[in-house]
Amino acid sequence: MRDAGHDSSQDAKESIRIVEEADIITARQRVRATAQELGFDSFAASAIITITSELARNIWVYAGRGEVVVERIDKGARKGIGLQFIDQGPGIVDLPKVLKGGLSRGGGLGLGLSGSKRLADEFDIDTQPGKGTHISVVKWKAR
Amino acid sequence: MRRDEIDQYMDILNFDEYELRSRLEFFEITDDDFRCLAGLRDFASKYTEEIVEKLYELILGHPETRTFFPDAETVERVKRKQTEYFMKLFRENIDLDYIRDRLRIGFVHEKIGMPPKWYLGAYRRYLQLITDRLIEEYRDRPDLAEQYVRSIEKIIFFEMAVSIDTYIAAHVETVTRHKEAIRELSTPVIKVHDRVLLLPVIGTVDTHRAQQIMETVLLEIVEEQAKVMIIDIAGVAVVDTRVADHLIRTTKAIRFLGAEAILTGISPNVARTVVQLGVDIGEIQTTNRLADGIELALHEIGKAITPKNQEKHLEKARQQERPGEKR
Amino acid sequence: MNRSPIPILKIKSTLITSVQTELQDETVDLFQQDILTRIEKTGARSLVIDISALDALDTYVARMLTSTGKMAKLMGARTVIVGMRPEVAATLVRMGFPLSYLETALSLEEGLSLVNQPIEGFSVDDGQQGD
Repeated sequence: MRDAGHDSSQDAKESIRIVEEADIITARQRVRATAQELGFDSFAASAIITITSELARNIWVYAGRGEVVVERIDKGARKGIGLQFIDQGPGIVDLPKVLKGGLSRGGGLGLGLSGSKRLADEFDIDTQPGKGTHISVVKWKAR
Repeated sequence: MRRDEIDQYMDILNFDEYELRSRLEFFEITDDDFRCLAGLRDFASKYTEEIVEKLYELILGHPETRTFFPDAETVERVKRKQTEYFMKLFRENIDLDYIRDRLRIGFVHEKIGMPPKWYLGAYRRYLQLITDRLIEEYRDRPDLAEQYVRSIEKIIFFEMAVSIDTYIAAHVETVTRHKEAIRELSTPVIKVHDRVLLLPVIGTVDTHRAQQIMETVLLEIVEEQAKVMIIDIAGVAVVDTRVADHLIRTTKAIRFLGAEAILTGISPNVARTVVQLGVDIGEIQTTNRLADGIELALHEIGKAITPKNQEKHLEKARQQERPGEKR
Repeated sequence: MNRSPIPILKIKSTLITSVQTELQDETVDLFQQDILTRIEKTGARSLVIDISALDALDTYVARMLTSTGKMAKLMGARTVIVGMRPEVAATLVRMGFPLSYLETALSLEEGLSLVNQPIEGFSVDDGQQGD
């Protein structure tokens, strides 16, 4: 078992600050490169890039600023990408409805969050109105 | 087992310096243990051959383990290897090269289909044999004997952990390869005509398979630039809402690409299920018989199947139009 | 007027454009404006958008495409999306995204024949004629 302080060279974490729109593209490119390095198939790569785009844009649109943490998971036979989307924005008031899809905060179809959840293998969301939102996503490489 | 295969397993098990140190720490193997083990080398070379002989009495005496050793020659070769193997336990350190060497054991056992129970059982016998010899050798120093037995126990358990891990990794790899083979077999896309493809879906459709069907179908359509994709579900065991939903998603994705989807093999039961469950099938073309679906598909690309007698009529008509060519 | 960096070509009464790179939201809006202005100026009856270079398409861009299709339709032009990659189609369907107001075709060639526009006599319209 490894203690949290030790990071093996294969598990790399990188944080991308979202302060302007161009940062969404930076996050997307970082995730695309990581998916390529890990040998994701095109379907899984497209899914995780799309998730990045949706959730990073949510940070920018709703919170103005925040952070995307890209984690390359390479635990032997299990490879994947872990993503965290963190902001101190207004949070999501009616989470269950938003997650069902069809409820938009920004005038669109409201599929960004619900769609990302459907595309992800693991999806966790922690949000508090007025305090911010923290979303964790994992997409595993298909075996 | 090739060198790159060993490296691959080192990678799968995440075996690096850190992992090695972490394991040694957990098995409480210290420099004192290595000193003990190194110091026992003479003792080991004195008894190992005899111990291996006794060990093989157990292995060859059991009807199931005996079958792994077809002839006397094999037995002799394996005994020699076994002796070498046991001698290597008495060492002053463990490094990654040693781990690489040990990875083979689990790997080879998995490949020849030797289950871990025999491996562990045989190791139990070895431990007993070597302990007996140690107690005998050091009967004047029971404290020393005890210390030695501890060190040997530690390294044997350490070795077993490495072997079992490799065992599992090799097994997982085999299963993965089988799964891939089955996956390829389970989505056979057939080219019916230029730009018309057919996928007969047979058996059970779970979420994983549905996803795989969608991906295969979409890739094939783009690869073949197919105009029509026929999905025949006559062979699907159960069509419930989930399956229907997956199929409809797939047909939607097919339309996104700019191709047409035709669902064939809709049995009375499936038709009833779809309507009763209120599944919206939208504009998807469906038929009961595959033949009708194929005809529909050909129509879609501007082709048609003409009955043979009709062909004769056409031929006659053509000949009558051109009497000059008539003989 | 700001112009999007995405070129729009014209063949007879069809506008053809290809989305090649990562799109910023700002570019997306300009692109939509550009297309609509060009439809007005040229009286184009159809619009073919090639997206074969995109390996991912988020709902923001997808929404822009469908709304462009809807607006173009209001102006009397039909919109065909061509060259969507398999992974993009799968992702959109999994997210539950509807592609309304859009037709689709496998390739640019298919898209053009769909709008009755055989490839011949193509001219690059660089959009430089006066406003």
